[in-house]
Amino acid sequence: MATPCLRSRADRVIDAAIARAFAAPYNPWRQLGALTSLALAITVASGIVAYALYDTSISGAYQSGLRLQNDPSYFGVLLRGLHRYGADAFMLLMILHLLREFLRSHYRGPRWYSWLSGVPLIWLGWLAGLTGLWLLWDSRALHSVMATAEWLQALPLVDEGLVRNFLASGALNDRFFSLVMFLHIGVPLFLIGGLWAHLQRIHLPAVWPRRAAGVGLLLTLGVVSLLAPAQSLGMADPHFVPKAISLDWFFQLPHVLTDSLSGAGTWAVAGGLTLLCASLPWLDRGRRKPAPARVELIHCNGCSRCAADCPFGAIRMVPRTDGGMHAQQAAVDDELCVACGICVGACPSSTPFRRIEDLVSGIELPEQPIGRLRQTLREVLKSRAPGSMVLVCRCRHSPGGSQAPDPSMLSIEVECLGMLPPSFLDFALRQGLAGAVLAGCEGGNCEFRLGDRWTLDRIAGRRAPRLRRNVARERIISLARQDDEASIRNAVDELLRHPMHDQPGDAR
Amino acid sequence: MPESGTRPLPFPARVALQCLVLGGFAAFIGVFSAKPAYPLRGENDAIVKLSFTHAAQLQHPCRERNAEELKKLAPNMRTQLDCPRQRAVVRFEMEMDGKPAYRLELPPGGLRKDGPATVYRRAMVAAGTHRIAARLSDKPSGEFNHSKEAVVDLKPGQVLLVDFIPAEGGFIFTKE
Ligand code: HEM
Ligand code: SF4
Ligand code: SF4
Repeated sequence: MATPCLRSRADRVIDAAIARAFAAPYNPWRQLGALTSLALAITVASGIVAYALYDTSISGAYQSGLRLQNDPSYFGVLLRGLHRYGADAFMLLMILHLLREFLRSHYRGPRWYSWLSGVPLIWLGWLAGLTGLWLLWDSRALHSVMATAEWLQALPLVDEGLVRNFLASGALNDRFFSLVMFLHIGVPLFLIGGLWAHLQRIHLPAVWPRRAAGVGLLLTLGVVSLLAPAQSLGMADPHFVPKAISLDWFFQLPHVLTDSLSGAGTWAVAGGLTLLCASLPWLDRGRRKPAPARVELIHCNGCSRCAADCPFGAIRMVPRTDGGMHAQQAAVDDELCVACGICVGACPSSTPFRRIEDLVSGIELPEQPIGRLRQTLREVLKSRAPGSMVLVCRCRHSPGGSQAPDPSMLSIEVECLGMLPPSFLDFALRQGLAGAVLAGCEGGNCEFRLGDRWTLDRIAGRRAPRLRRNVARERIISLARQDDEASIRNAVDELLRHPMHDQPGDAR
Repeated sequence: MPESGTRPLPFPARVALQCLVLGGFAAFIGVFSAKPAYPLRGENDAIVKLSFTHAAQLQHPCRERNAEELKKLAPNMRTQLDCPRQRAVVRFEMEMDGKPAYRLELPPGGLRKDGPATVYRRAMVAAGTHRIAARLSDKPSGEFNHSKEAVVDLKPGQVLLVDFIPAEGGFIFTKE
C-alpha cells in the first residue's frame, strides 16, 4: 500500500470533511471539473442575454450597466449577478479543480496532457472576465484598463504610449469598445475550444455535475446575486482618481501586483507561476511509470469491453493481425495507459473458471498478472476450512491503515477495484470463502475515475462482465473507504458470523 | 450488496454543514468580488500624470554627398542628399514649486532610432496650489526650445495631465 504523501493526505482530509455533509454522489470536491464547466455555462448563458440588453458605445455602456442593476423587477439584478458571480465562481472552482488534481499528483504519467492543456484555460478564463469588467466602463474599469496598459508596457515590444489612449476624456473612442467586446466574446470561444482539447484524453468525461450539485451551484449564485447585487461604480473619469476602489479580486489581483511590484515584477510572478505549472509534469515525475497494459492476442476475442471501460481511452479496437477467427483485437496505446487494470476486470478472458493451467487474460498488467490472483486464492484455500475466511480486496490507491496479518482475511491488492473481474468473487465464494469485502475509493473519488462505477455496475448486473445472477450479493460488502480498518474488521466479522445458507459443495 | 463508506452526519447536522460549505462558497465569492477596497491614494492626494510621445529633430542635419560617395552607392540609391534617420534625444525637465520633479533624457523609439520618444509617469502630490514648470528640448544640441509654466489648483483626487503636442502649441496641462 502506498504511503500517502502530504499532498494526498491533504486531499483526503478535505474530501472526508466534505463527505460528512454530502453523500458520495453529490460531494462537490469530487466534481470540481464538472462544476467549473457549469459555472462557465451559467456565465455564458447569462452573458448572451445581457448582450441583447447592452449598448456598446462609450456613453451607452455605463448606462447599460446601471439599467440592469436598477431594474425594479430584479431580473436585471439577477442577470448581472449570475454573469458576474458566475465568472467569479468559475475562477474559484477552476483553481480548486487545479488544486485537487495537484494534491492527487494528476500531472504525472499520461495525465501530463490533461494537466498541461488545463494551464492555458486559466489565462483565457482570466482574460474573458477582465475584459467583461471593462465593458461596464465605470471607475473600476478605467483603473483596470490603465493598470493593464501599464502592465503591458513592461513588455519589451509594447511602447509606453499605450496608456495614452485612456488618459484624456476625449482620447477614447468607440473603436476601443468594439475591440473589448470582440475580446470578451472571442476569448470565451477560445476557452470552450480549449476545454474541448482539455478533455480529449478523458473517456466519458464528467462535463456536467450531478443534477443536485448543479442546482446547488445555481441557487448559491442566485442567492449571492440578490443579497449582494453586482454594481457599477462611478462613471469612468480620467481626471479623477477615487480614494479607494472596489476590485474584483478574482480577476484584478495582477493590478495590485503591478502597483506594488512594477509591471516587470508582475510578469515575472505570473510568467513564473505559469511556467512552473506547465512544467510540473516533467519536474515531478514521481516513481517510475508502471508498465502499461498488454494485450495477449490468443486470449483476446475482440469483444471491445476493455475499450469501453478504459477511463483514459487508451484502447482502440483494430483489425485482427494474427489471422484468428475474430474480426478485431484490442490495441493499447502505451502513451495513454496509466496501468489501472480496469481493462483486466472488463475482459471475459479474465475469468478464473477457465480450465487452462496458467490463467492468462486477453489483456494483462504485466506487473500484476491475473493468474497470480487465482494462484493465491487456490493455495490459501488448500489449507483452510470452508467458511473460515473472507476475501478482502483492497485498492492500492486508497491508502489504508496498518494492516496486521490476520488468519481470517485473505487479503489481495489490486491497482483499482475495477481490476477485479466479478467472476473472481463468484469463484472465491464457490471455493469456500465466507464472503468478500471490497475496500477502495469512495463513490466518485476513484483514482482512475471510473473504477468504482464499473465495479458496482458489474456486480449489480448493469454492465458486462456481469456477476452471475445467483451469486449471493449479501456475501459481498463494498466498503468505500479502505483506510477504515475498523470497518473492514467489522465487515469481515459480520460475514464470518453468519454462515452461508447454501454451502459451496462441489467447487473444490 | 451491502455498501458502506463515510457516513454522512445525521440529518440536522448534515444540513447545517451543507449550509456552511455552500454559504462559505457564496460568501467567498460575494466578498472577494468587491472587497477589500484597494486604496488608490491618500486622503489629501492629487495625481500628476506625465505622458507624451514626440518625435525630436533629426540628430544629424542632411548633407550633400560628394561625387566619390555617390559612385559607391547602388545606382538606384544615388540621391544627392544624405539624411541619417536617427533622431535626437528628447530632454525633459519639470519643476514643482521650484523643486525638480523630473529630469529625463528620452531616447528615440524604433529600431533605427527614428521614432518618437515616449514617456509615461504618474506621481502623487498634495492637493492644493502648485507652480509647475516644464521644459523640453528636441534639438540635437539639447538646448531647451519649449517650455510652459503655470499655477494649478488641484482638488483631492484630481488628475493633472502634462502632455506635449507641438501642433497644439507645445505643453498642455489639463485637469478635466
Ligand atoms: C476551464 C477550466 C477547466 C474546466 C472546465 C475543466 C474541466 C475538467 C473536466 C470536466 C475534467 C474531467 C473530469 C472527469 O471526468 O474525471 C477535467 C479533468 C482534468 N483537469 Fe480540468 N478543467 C479546467 C481547468 C483545468 C486546469 C487549470 C487544470 C490544471 C492545470 C486542470 C487539470 C485537469 C486534470 C489533470 C484532469 C484529469 C483528471 C484525471 O486524469 O483523473 N483542469 N477537467
Ligand atoms: S490499464 Fe487502465 S488505462 Fe491502461 S489500458 Fe487498461 S483500462 Fe486503460
Ligand atoms: S476485453 Fe479482453 S477479449 Fe475483449 S477486446 Fe479487450 S482484451 Fe480482447
